[in-house]
Amino acid sequence: MKNNPALEPLKQFEADLDKCTRCGFCMSACPVYREEKVESAVARGKLSLVRALLDGELTLNAGLADKLNMCTLCGTCAENCPAGTEVPAVLTAARAAKVRQRGVPFPYNLIYRWLLPRRRLFGGVVRFASWFQGIFMPKTQGTIRHLSMFLSALGKGRHIPRIAPKFLRQQVPELNLPPAGVATQYTVGYFTGCMTDFVFPEVGRKIIGFLTRNGVEVRVPRGQGCCGAPVFLGAGDFATGRRLADANVAAFRDVDYVITDCATCASAIKDYVKFLADSDARKRDYAALGDKIKDITEFLVDVLKLPASAYRVAAEFRGRTVTWHQPCHLGRHLGVKEQPRQILKSLKGIKYVEMPGADTCCGMAGTFSIYYYDLSRRIADKKMDAIDATGADVVVTDCPGCQIQLTDGTLRRGAPRQVRHVMELFE
Amino acid sequence: MLSSSVIKSLQKIVGKENVLTAPEELATYAYDATAMWRHRPDVVVLPHDAAQVSGVLKLASRHGIPVTPRGGGTNVSGGSVPIRGGIVLGTTRMNRIIEINKTNLNATVEPGVVLQDFQEALAREGLFFPPDPQSFSGCTMGGVVAENSGGPSCLKYGVAKQYVLGLEVVLADGRIVKLGGLTPKNRTGYELVMLFTGSEGTLGVITRITLRLLPVPPASQTIVAVFGDVATAGETVTDIIARGVLPAKVEFVDSWTFGKFRGLLPDKVLDESEVILLIQVDGLPETVKAEAERVAALCRATAGDVRVAADAAEAERYWQVRSAHFSDISSRARTIINEDVSVPRDKIADFIRLGQESARRHDVPLSFAGHIGDGNFHPVVLTDKDDKEHFARALACIDEIIEIAIALGGVLSGEHGIGLEKQRFLKKAMDPAAIDIMKQIKAVLDPKHILNPGKIWEETPDEK
Repeated sequence: MKNNPALEPLKQFEADLDKCTRCGFCMSACPVYREEKVESAVARGKLSLVRALLDGELTLNAGLADKLNMCTLCGTCAENCPAGTEVPAVLTAARAAKVRQRGVPFPYNLIYRWLLPRRRLFGGVVRFASWFQGIFMPKTQGTIRHLSMFLSALGKGRHIPRIAPKFLRQQVPELNLPPAGVATQYTVGYFTGCMTDFVFPEVGRKIIGFLTRNGVEVRVPRGQGCCGAPVFLGAGDFATGRRLADANVAAFRDVDYVITDCATCASAIKDYVKFLADSDARKRDYAALGDKIKDITEFLVDVLKLPASAYRVAAEFRGRTVTWHQPCHLGRHLGVKEQPRQILKSLKGIKYVEMPGADTCCGMAGTFSIYYYDLSRRIADKKMDAIDATGADVVVTDCPGCQIQLTDGTLRRGAPRQVRHVMELFE
Repeated sequence: MLSSSVIKSLQKIVGKENVLTAPEELATYAYDATAMWRHRPDVVVLPHDAAQVSGVLKLASRHGIPVTPRGGGTNVSGGSVPIRGGIVLGTTRMNRIIEINKTNLNATVEPGVVLQDFQEALAREGLFFPPDPQSFSGCTMGGVVAENSGGPSCLKYGVAKQYVLGLEVVLADGRIVKLGGLTPKNRTGYELVMLFTGSEGTLGVITRITLRLLPVPPASQTIVAVFGDVATAGETVTDIIARGVLPAKVEFVDSWTFGKFRGLLPDKVLDESEVILLIQVDGLPETVKAEAERVAALCRATAGDVRVAADAAEAERYWQVRSAHFSDISSRARTIINEDVSVPRDKIADFIRLGQESARRHDVPLSFAGHIGDGNFHPVVLTDKDDKEHFARALACIDEIIEIAIALGGVLSGEHGIGLEKQRFLKKAMDPAAIDIMKQIKAVLDPKHILNPGKIWEETPDEK
């Protein structure tokens, strides 16, 4: 077992494993441990499992694989770790070991290896699924069952948003120039991510409109694909992750910055170099793309440095009370904490209220919420309590995944509240 | 190995989802926060109430199965490691705060409530439970009582036992007993509440706790002082208290942790210094202001640099470094041996000097940190248990440090407890007649020795 080649991806992070002293600083803040209250749920438990795996005391059976999966990778443990253990990295590498040994289960294997790397085909399948969605759940958001492929897993009683009748890239051109009379200051590539492309195209249109009006040329390269988060971070499939990463590198070669409206996509793209760089060329390319990627709020505040007057609240939100949910990938992984708050606090026409524990995980975490929907819901309930405490009637965030989770929680609670992407607030 | 009929019975008592038997579950209940002790249980049960705990103990008693009670498992004595296998009885799912009573200044909690959650709930009511072991973000209230926890605040406010008013305890034979009450004064019979407080899970399983509370001090101020040598720091602490200021906390870290202070304090001062004192005074704002000024003035006379935290955020940054000390040290060596001796305050400087001499003689790295205000130190020797020769020297050094502390009139453990880690010193540190009395009490309450066997006084069985 010690020389098991499947465990190779873990070697890089073995030092992190040894940093853990089991002091327990990771415990009270772990969203999964708070619910489960078993040691295998929390970082120090998971790290000791990985250690036992490397030492040959445990084998990578289905039970252990389950423990490795049962984590949102929110990074709260690493943030609280006095020894600086990079827990999410160890778990990601452990998931990669799991894939090398056990493969990816059906139907995820088909989705990750075959569907996600083929953007047009993926779009087609999503479109196909949306027809069913149209039949089973007309008009409003509601419950769907028996959808094909991965959407079926999303349907365990979860409220999921409608697939857009027209995808973003069918709505906007590849090249979007500032209007006449506005000088171009920057050229950015827009990494739209699957969710904005297929589900929330209106967010994408808003962003493109906002940026071009403020002197930014926005390119939406057709060659871009999935960021790979569910593939290499979620499922540990590094080989397919590389195919996706390479495609995205090629799509965004000629721009100053790459912006996203999805914290998870940005974080995953930054992580290419950490997990997927298996050659010098890839190391160089992945690092270069990682340097260029910016979250939209980070770009607006740190690069474009827009004055407060540039943000005008759309009529529909004027007079409303707004709170902010900080996605884990945005705050802890990308270190973007103040920028969105700075924008929100400067807005005239809304009342901004900070929620208690705004940085606490919402429990979505991509495929985590499919495998562990009940657990994911219980984590979300805590978030809903925090939102309720603010009295806000609009929750904004910067990650379509969080947005889906918060919408699901809000609808389950029947709360009269809107969940929106932060960029939707603006005219 | 336990028979499948025992497992089935356990499942019947606590429910299937609260019985863990898979190897990947058991492996995560084999440790606590010590480096050296590890043993897997045969099964983990996670009961939800006293009746279920009683059921588990009746079954264990009938079959003679060892039961190791465990809360957060953040203890540093080996106390929650199931060294004889059997059942780990985890209290983490008994985690309700039953009542916080502002008028009576008390609270009743289940044992699995995490200390930090309890503190936060109290803070919302303007209340305060002082014991603050550095594991507060993972440790549970049952453990705080069973280990009689301390922490920095104990200088002014005392340790856990000063706050325990009442307990519900399940005995080894399954009897559920209520001890103590709700009032701060209670002179009814023997102090049985104290018998279970600090019992390290060897006499019974605590299932409900009533604690005395204090109103939260309205103000506090943190002063950081950097000293060239330990003796001066120790004398300054004595001086501060002699001048009528009893700080809430006086903490001490040595140069091993200075790395984490870089950026917070000037490099030059850190380079030339040996120890940092972190002092917190609390109380009414006007008292705090006057006390902070007096502490700062006294420190300025002897310290290389003195900082008074400008705001809560700055204070928090200093205290975070203190909290991180143990983990910071632990991560620098494959194995660390962490001790917990306590010496009288007037022997602090002697103790540290003699300890450092011992480390030099044994040629092992030694770090000191701890609660200098009450003389409770955590000397840590950094070693590697796979390096037999180095490890032997490290153990010899620690033995000597403990002997130094005891010779100076100190005690073996200030707040961590004996568990497995310190049992080999017990005979040196305790009157043999007292050890006998403990064994007799144990025999009365747990005649079959099922509760946390192998702890406190017994010798550790040879490891395979």
